[in-house]
Amino acid sequence: MPEQAIKDKTAIAGIGWTAFTRGSGVRTLTLAAEASLNAVADAGLEVQHIDGIVSYFHKRPESQEVRELTQMLGIKNCNFQLYSDGGGGWNCAAVLSAAMLVHSGVCKNVLVFKAQNRYSEGRAARAERVHDVSGPDQFTMPFGQHHAAAQFGPHATAHMARYGTTSLDFAHLAVTERSHAMLNQKAMMRKPMTVADHQASRWIIYPFRLFDCCQETDGAVALVVTSAERARDLKHAPVYIMAGVGGTSQTAGWWETNGINTAPQLYEGAGIAPRDVSIAEIYDPFTFMCMTHLEDLGVVPKGEIGPWIRAGNNRLDGSLPVNTHGGLLSEGHIAGLNHFIEAVQQLRPEGVVDDLCEGTHTYDRATCRQVRDPQIALLCGECVDSAMLLRKA
Amino acid sequence: MNAYAKPLPRTDVDTQPFWDGCKLHDLRAQRCSDCRRFRWPPQAFCPECYSWKFEWTRLAQTGKVATFVVVHYAAVAAFQPDLPYVVAHIVIDGTAGRVEIVSNVIGCPWQDVKVDMAVKAVFEDVTPDVTLAKFEPA
Repeated sequence: MPEQAIKDKTAIAGIGWTAFTRGSGVRTLTLAAEASLNAVADAGLEVQHIDGIVSYFHKRPESQEVRELTQMLGIKNCNFQLYSDGGGGWNCAAVLSAAMLVHSGVCKNVLVFKAQNRYSEGRAARAERVHDVSGPDQFTMPFGQHHAAAQFGPHATAHMARYGTTSLDFAHLAVTERSHAMLNQKAMMRKPMTVADHQASRWIIYPFRLFDCCQETDGAVALVVTSAERARDLKHAPVYIMAGVGGTSQTAGWWETNGINTAPQLYEGAGIAPRDVSIAEIYDPFTFMCMTHLEDLGVVPKGEIGPWIRAGNNRLDGSLPVNTHGGLLSEGHIAGLNHFIEAVQQLRPEGVVDDLCEGTHTYDRATCRQVRDPQIALLCGECVDSAMLLRKA
Repeated sequence: MNAYAKPLPRTDVDTQPFWDGCKLHDLRAQRCSDCRRFRWPPQAFCPECYSWKFEWTRLAQTGKVATFVVVHYAAVAAFQPDLPYVVAHIVIDGTAGRVEIVSNVIGCPWQDVKVDMAVKAVFEDVTPDVTLAKFEPA
């Protein structure tokens, strides 16, 4: 497969976010608007420059749809809007959709956002849904499979049986991500965590303990995608979109995800190899899911993720820093679109702005989470149902 | 008698014969009349050869645990008394791995449940209309 026609033709020009909390006290629409206005301002654009809007949801009640935001922002010319049900698998597909809209000429500047009151409204909404047991749910919910940990835990159990991966491996990933979050002003979880803390935490749904599970978060993030040409004249240096993929397909077994199907197309589309990746912001609703995603994306050989994590390869100064913001596990769960906020910050010339060091980055890991000179970022959503490569200008 | 408080399946035109089978304490799945492959979940045509001809076939009542979780936290209150309970993906014998269903493994401590463990079906008539196929060690 040749390189994708969109390669380096579009860029992320602006990023914005709200506080990440357990109780926003405002409507999801207000969260969406706040993050979006921040992203537009960060790009150095005006609201009326936005002519396309993309978002996505897993379950509608705790998410913010697109039309209401278009109306609230008073956007006069919206040439295309899209609200997909792809859930956490769709973060990269949302940005890819924006890139395709811009490259095709349908839109000039596309806003991508994700807003949710998932902590304060999600639980009640889910409780109400329990007795709607139709479609595929009729074969799972009567048997007590109601929680995301029960949906994704089977992947982990199968990998443990096949490759010898353990809960202790999961612990090292959780601890490393927490150490990154401790350097992130917007992260929800900034208390130190040890491997012993993880191992002492209670079972939620075996093989996942409490500290294997991500946060439920109220908050929003947004970004602006525009053409590479326009981006070069805007406020910040562009972060180029190299290539992306999005779509589900089947695998041979529980021990692998759709990444084995999508990753080859992704790298070929960008004209690079997995070894060229400098940082990885990887969907991590549960520790193990991040681990299988890394394997299935081809940056770690299949079955070797446990030792790779234990050796610290995923740390800020490791061979491939992973979830440098703390991930869904410790920063917060904005359906993986928050991973883009981190990747863009890491790839801008000025680097991250919300760590604990001021002015020039020191690379002192007591205060600074900027990775040393990253060039290419790899991102993915749940089961690598979408993935993307970004590069520094 | 207390009302059954757990979620019950909302069946559809494709899945009704499976649930009817459970009520008779049978496990059933569709088998393609042309390529003879089993399939799961129920659907109107064969995902391998795209034939629309099929028959509902009685399956073995034994299988193997492909993978599983153990629920220690009840997201739904009605399951609280059952904690901890096992939710497993079970490949039914004789289906060439094509029929993998979700159910509970009961009748043994959760620590004894392993990948590849052999299990057999036990049927629970949870309401006058609905029977759930669960599994215990074979």
